[in-house]
Amino acid sequence: MGLLTRFSLLLASGSAEGEHATKASPFGQFLGLMILCSLVILFIVIFLNSAKKGLNTKFFGKLTTKLLEQLFVFVEGIAVGVIGAHGRKYIPMLMVLWMMIFVSNILAMVIHSSPTSDLSFNIALALIAVGYVQWEGGRAHGPLGHLKHFAGPNLPIGLAIFITPVIFLIEIISEAMKNVSLSLRLYGNIYGGGEAVKSINELGPQYGMAWMNFGDLLFPIKLLTAVVQALIFCLLFAVYLSLVTQPHDDHDEDNDHASQGKVASAH
Amino acid sequence: MLAQAPLALGLAALGCAIGLGLIGNGAMQGMARQPEAINKLQIAMLIALAFVELIFILTVFIGLGKFAV
Repeated sequence: MGLLTRFSLLLASGSAEGEHATKASPFGQFLGLMILCSLVILFIVIFLNSAKKGLNTKFFGKLTTKLLEQLFVFVEGIAVGVIGAHGRKYIPMLMVLWMMIFVSNILAMVIHSSPTSDLSFNIALALIAVGYVQWEGGRAHGPLGHLKHFAGPNLPIGLAIFITPVIFLIEIISEAMKNVSLSLRLYGNIYGGGEAVKSINELGPQYGMAWMNFGDLLFPIKLLTAVVQALIFCLLFAVYLSLVTQPHDDHDEDNDHASQGKVASAH
Repeated sequence: MLAQAPLALGLAALGCAIGLGLIGNGAMQGMARQPEAINKLQIAMLIALAFVELIFILTVFIGLGKFAV
């Protein structure tokens, strides 16, 4: 455990959020983050390779294949439940996000520093997610149709001159703030969890019980946080996708009645 | 700035806890009334919890002066 802690401290001092980060070169600055990212990617690749070997049988006998099947069913439930029937084509993206964030969160509980407890990695993830949402919106409605989605409802021309630019500006700002909210939520939860463990660990020596690490009693709640944060990132990504790829959301009332009728007739 | 940070964090945690409790209360009542809607209610509850939590995390950053210019 001592070796593990020293290793994680070494990585943290090399990563961008460390207090003694070397400003000599970007490579030195992000070296710890790169090592941690490659650890996570290495684990994912090994897991997927192991799961792939069990695919050719009629029943899945291999443990990793069974686990991957359960994961796929879970992510498919998110995609189909939130986005709708056309959400099946976004499953690969959701799987990649889920595995990357979940494995990083689990790594954060073991060695107290991981890709997701580094703000730069989280901002990169959020930029990729929101950029992909814009790309998909442009593909679903055309670039102009996607821009029109920001401009609010159709107004008479006299009102539109004054109100539409304001709505457009506010929508663009709120779209940009999605990056901030996605990245800061993940970073704050994971990094804050580690900091809470560290500062509660200092309570033991203060009260003469140096043999007890009280902070590690937070392990269950950190496990819950790790699962819930990965779930929420994927869920919000799916919600943003469903907002921009809904077909023809101009006439809300009519569409609602029509879809309700369709659902009723389907049942 | 740093001297007032604990008070600010405490106040923010108070509001955040009240909001989380209200969301949990509403979701529990809804689940008890309609157990067959638990899946939909859980997803909506988790999204609402995430939005309330975000406000507290933003307060932590601003209160500790991390992003204060």
